[in-house]
Amino acid sequence: MMNNSSVDKKVKERINELFAGVGSSQALFELKEELSTNIKEKVADFQSRGMDEQQSLQEAMISLGDLSELVEEMRQLGQNQAKQKVYSTRAAQISTIGIVVGVLLILFGGLVCTMLFFQTSETISAVGPLIFVVLGGAITTYSVLTRETKKCYGMNKIRATIYAAAVGTGLFGFFVSIMTYAGMGKIYTAIAPFMVFFMISVGVILYLILTEVDRKKENS
Amino acid sequence: MAGKISTDLIRGHTSTIILNVLRQGDSYGYAIYKQIIALSDNQYELKEATLYTAFRRLEKEGYILSYWGDETTGSRRKYYRITEAGSQFYEQSQKDWAFAKNILDKLINGGLNHDE
Repeated sequence: MMNNSSVDKKVKERINELFAGVGSSQALFELKEELSTNIKEKVADFQSRGMDEQQSLQEAMISLGDLSELVEEMRQLGQNQAKQKVYSTRAAQISTIGIVVGVLLILFGGLVCTMLFFQTSETISAVGPLIFVVLGGAITTYSVLTRETKKCYGMNKIRATIYAAAVGTGLFGFFVSIMTYAGMGKIYTAIAPFMVFFMISVGVILYLILTEVDRKKENS
Repeated sequence: MAGKISTDLIRGHTSTIILNVLRQGDSYGYAIYKQIIALSDNQYELKEATLYTAFRRLEKEGYILSYWGDETTGSRRKYYRITEAGSQFYEQSQKDWAFAKNILDKLINGGLNHDE
């Protein structure tokens, strides 16, 4: 896949011109991304056949054909708020349920742990329920990221899943180190497992943040 | 590209053509475009604009579904997959086409035999 930022920018500009004045919607946002990926590949194909950048871009845009039907469809989607709602309700519902379940899991884990801590003398069995916090943290992360707000579109599911997995891994690192500490009573034995999980988690999250695509809505 | 197929003629078959590509494996916009050119032995090009409109229609009808590829570098591909309903529709279209092709050939090329 091509990663030429100047072509990248120009393709984006051309696509924005095509859909100028069309009200924003999740469908439009996704269509633009789909078009942009495909056009960039086409441009790269033309360039590999010896065409220069300018010419390749021109050719790729012209050869798309008549997009007016698609533009019109997007315009209607953008205008029709009700339709747009239907489009995003399912995702919104999943996200809402996810946040509720996630937060409840975190609370449950935290409270059970507190309760056991005062109930039993063994710290190790008290910190066990913290695994619910790990699970809840991952679910909440996924749900928050996929949520469509007034200003931003929801993140795509795969990306949000990777984020959630990374957050889960980090929390799991905490969990394992707390367990180890509770069991062995030595700080240094707790840091070792924590380090492994935490570094994986930070690495993945950093990578995701640096490759982030803009999800801001234009008309907001 | 050599010959010509009228827009009217091809329009009724866009769905079937796309489904024919997708029943042979999941694919995404530009690849489908190239696969169709290849299917025609480089003799026919279905415009990308037509394809995108068709994708949206086919997805609404439940004949295909879409999912994003896991390219993490910002340029994600939107892949399409044929559904069970899509496969059934394709098979029916294939039969319809076999019938239509035969009849149209008779109607366009056939001669009337008055001696019978």
